[in-house]
Amino acid sequence: MSGLLQDLQYAARQLRKSPGFATVAIVTLALGIGANTAIFSLLDQALLRSLPVKDVDRLVILKYSGSNIPGLLRCRTDGKFYFSYPMYRDLRDRNSVFSGLIATDWTQVGVQWHNQPDLVAAELVSGNYFDVLSLQPALGRLFAASDDLKADASPVVVLSFSYWQRRFGTDPGILNQSILVNGHPFTVVGVAPPGFHSVVLGDTPDVFVPMMMQAEVMPGSKDLDSHQSSWLNIVGKLKPGISREQAEAGVAPLWYALRSDELKSINTTGESEGFRDRFLTKSHLLVLDGARGFSPLRSDVQMPLLIVMGMVALVALMACANVGSLLLVRASGRIREMSVRYALGAKRRRVVQQLLVEGMLLGSAGGLLGMLLAPQVSSLLISMLWSGGTGDLPFSARPDLRIMLFNCSLALFASLLFSLAPAAQFWRPDLAPALKQQGTTARSGSLRFRRVSVAMQIGLSLTLLVGAGLFVRTLHNLRSLNAGFTTDHLVTFGIDPRMAGYEPVRTFALYRSVFETLSGLPGVRSVAATNDPELANDNESGNIAIAGYAEKSHEDMNVEQPNVSADYFATLQVPLLAGRAFTLQDSAESQKVAVVNESFARHFFGDPQQALGHLIGYGGATPKTDTAIVGVVKDSKHASLREPVTPTLFRPYVQLSQAQAMTFYVRTWQQPESAEGTIRRAMQTLDPNVVLDTFRTMNEQVDNNLIAERVIALLASGFGVLAALMAAVGLYGVLAYSTMQRTSEIGIRMALGATRASVVRMVLLEVLWLAGISIAVALPVSLLLMYAVRSQLYGISGSDPLTLCGMTVLVTLVALASAMLPARRAARVEPMAALRHE
Amino acid sequence: MIEAGQPLIQIQDLTKVFYTDEIETHALSGIHLSVNRGEYVAMSGPSGCGKSTLLSIIGLLDTPTAGRYSLNGKTVENLDFAERSRIRNQEIGFIFQSFNLIGDLTVYENVELPLTYRQRMPAADRKSRVMEALERVGMAHRIRHYPSQLSGGQQQRVAVARALGGKPSILLADEPTGNLDSRNGEAVMELLQNLHREGATICMVTHDPRFAKHAQREVHLFDGKVVAEEELRKLLQETSA
Ligand SMILES: Nc1ncnc2c1ncn2[C@@H]1O[C@H](COP(=O)(O)OP(=O)(O)O)[C@@H](O)[C@H]1O
Ligand SMILES: [Mg+2]
Repeated sequence: MSGLLQDLQYAARQLRKSPGFATVAIVTLALGIGANTAIFSLLDQALLRSLPVKDVDRLVILKYSGSNIPGLLRCRTDGKFYFSYPMYRDLRDRNSVFSGLIATDWTQVGVQWHNQPDLVAAELVSGNYFDVLSLQPALGRLFAASDDLKADASPVVVLSFSYWQRRFGTDPGILNQSILVNGHPFTVVGVAPPGFHSVVLGDTPDVFVPMMMQAEVMPGSKDLDSHQSSWLNIVGKLKPGISREQAEAGVAPLWYALRSDELKSINTTGESEGFRDRFLTKSHLLVLDGARGFSPLRSDVQMPLLIVMGMVALVALMACANVGSLLLVRASGRIREMSVRYALGAKRRRVVQQLLVEGMLLGSAGGLLGMLLAPQVSSLLISMLWSGGTGDLPFSARPDLRIMLFNCSLALFASLLFSLAPAAQFWRPDLAPALKQQGTTARSGSLRFRRVSVAMQIGLSLTLLVGAGLFVRTLHNLRSLNAGFTTDHLVTFGIDPRMAGYEPVRTFALYRSVFETLSGLPGVRSVAATNDPELANDNESGNIAIAGYAEKSHEDMNVEQPNVSADYFATLQVPLLAGRAFTLQDSAESQKVAVVNESFARHFFGDPQQALGHLIGYGGATPKTDTAIVGVVKDSKHASLREPVTPTLFRPYVQLSQAQAMTFYVRTWQQPESAEGTIRRAMQTLDPNVVLDTFRTMNEQVDNNLIAERVIALLASGFGVLAALMAAVGLYGVLAYSTMQRTSEIGIRMALGATRASVVRMVLLEVLWLAGISIAVALPVSLLLMYAVRSQLYGISGSDPLTLCGMTVLVTLVALASAMLPARRAARVEPMAALRHE
Repeated sequence: MIEAGQPLIQIQDLTKVFYTDEIETHALSGIHLSVNRGEYVAMSGPSGCGKSTLLSIIGLLDTPTAGRYSLNGKTVENLDFAERSRIRNQEIGFIFQSFNLIGDLTVYENVELPLTYRQRMPAADRKSRVMEALERVGMAHRIRHYPSQLSGGQQQRVAVARALGGKPSILLADEPTGNLDSRNGEAVMELLQNLHREGATICMVTHDPRFAKHAQREVHLFDGKVVAEEELRKLLQETSA
């Protein structure tokens, strides 16, 4: 590498000489690399990274196929199969293929320490949790099997490392101290190692509690003995040398035996042969790869992150193409310089080296700036995606060094590659014509390359803009979707008095005083509450039976079952279609009543009026049907705006056997934000130990419910605009250069009688050509991509003609706009240019 | 229509001054010149004496600083750009020293180019004009070639065809043989000679006395002025002395 230093100096001087070019190139690269690194870091953490535990490749997740147990008392309705505690215990104790099986569930608890209440995330874990994961404590000890032998017998907690830092200032003195969890004293026995969050990816519990303490940690649930409560995740560790397939085969007989027992234990009268088939013969225990942990989160964020990643990749591609064509412009302008260098005896290698050094300088400057940018982009994204969550963020904004290096070398590689493109052009220079070139008879191959690159950029920006358009309209559609209730002037917050140590009776009393106090506040129109909050991705469902209703074979009798206060429908402004709403006369002692929604009425009875008077029972195979339907309300969205309305059965919360956590809705006269202070103060005077959870307006709740859609729409628009800008810059570059190169050609045309208008037309036509070809290619590609992400769209088809046409027009306009300046410059060429020759 | 006897080009007291970086270059000062229909005029003089400048003003590529110029009986020194474009396109055929064919267009397209700038000329007419012009210069068999695939002499013949295609009132040639070897140069000169014989009006700049002899009349320029031949000789002797 002779003269490398000289080349470096010369390259730096060259870049300084054209600061505009250097700035555009470096900023483009930096944006590409920064965004890429940030997004890829998140993607890696969300989808790819392994749990930070030993023997991680032996971890497996258990799931099963086949029917769920009928008449479930408690079941999560997210479509995934969970296990009951007895099933977990039997699998754990009777299998021969796992060296350990752990059970886990997530919940929220109230922690009180030094009289300071705090709402934290808790993971309820089997006693062997830390053993199976081979984790060592940061302080004290972790759980042992002995902590998890008898119900309610071992009130101990392990703190997560970050909760220990955050709440207890890393004070080792917390060891063996007592803290209140939901009002019960628990002893802190240890702190989990740093860097470990949970076996469930995306969960960041602050405390770990033994499974046997479920009654204290999840007030109101007593699931440990019930086969009819499916609620647990099971993670296992394979015995050494046993593969997942072997484990699955080995555990199959046990699964069959356990399921047969379950089938016997439930009342099977009326269960057909088909059910037996689905419950037993066709049911299999599945042993899935668990190295990366369980991830409910993974499936939630996978699609949005993949979409964002795709957009970033497109933008990065554009950045490369852009820098590449920028380098080519400069190179083409320097053919003569290079020819002179050759003529003066420069060796090819030196000329190429010169170009490579310049490309490298650009690449590393862009890469450096991109690395500085990446953490900013990351934390911005994280804060957008996980706004309003409790506890730690499961993701860190610190970009991964490997990914950073990878992206940097990618940038360097790309810029080297592109600096080589002009080098290829100089490889076999036609010295004679280049030196005495008349400028007009030369046809330029580099121009063709740059046209391709610009066409590509126009196409990519069209693709991104189409995506942006569809996602923005999806967001708009979801936002303007009628939730079925009025979201304006509505404030919501949750409380769980049990976490402050309330007994059931006192809890009901507290709720009554909350209603009284809040209704009396100035500016409050009405107050209502539910145990199943709206638009919070929450479900409280269960099986029902209807007296005198002929169930179709295996008809899904699982319906949403919220328990609500008397003024619920009035407060949310859900219209009543038939019968009556709940009143204060509906009490624990009076006739059990229910109000159903329109979907429920239509599904089971065909018509709202027909539903009135029917009797309902819950769970089990032959339950007591003692609840009368007294009213029907119009449908409203429940878990999320996206999901369709499901049959719903409302009951008065006062008729619940156990008090539960409730979410309150306060309808205000004035702006809901202004009510916060008043409400908080009123609640404070009722009981300072009751913590208000997620206090927000309903419109904020809606926004929060649409977080993924909002992030995608925002990013897609951002990237779309960025892409259009880059395409415009690229197009401008190509045209500015090509018209400059064609100065004498344009002069000749003018000498031959071309008018200024016809020259402008000529340049614009060229642009339209380029744009037309790239649009013709990009449209089908966009259609395909949009088809791939159709699950993320709402109320709009991936081939929505309005969006496609609109964005095509937009891209064409951007192209024409960026062509205006070069076109006008071309039109100002003097015809005299034709006569001038050096 | 022009009355018989009236010159095609009439230039009176024409001046051209270039202003560059506060330097005034008097490229032409007080030129009187008239060229009759059907005439073949050669303009000669030492390099830098203003030949190209004069030719470009005649061809309406440039405007004079002062003086009068009428072409075909029409005063043209103060026309706007669009009007000058139109006249260039219809009345004037250019032949350049460096051929100035457009590299991205074929021979056919190059010759067709000026015709495409005319409004409402039917494609069939264009085609017959182009082929007629190419046949006239003997290049009709090369219509699909690109300029870079032709020799210099062939390129210049295509350039002549391009100038002829528009059926202009006058052909303007600026050192048409400057980039050609002598054999190809002779051929192009012969082509011009023949065109003249068929009635074309030609104004040609050359500094080669041999080629100047082809013309009917020779105009000598020196330092931006028209001078008589003997005077030029005297002036040249003075400067070389
Ligand atoms: N565009 C211009 N700007 C400034 N000076 C010019 C320009 N064109 C020509 N000249 C000057 O005018 C004079 C005449 O030039 P030109 O007509 O090209 O000479 P010739 O063709 O006879 O060699 C020269 O001194 C030349 O430098
Ligand atoms: Mg000249």
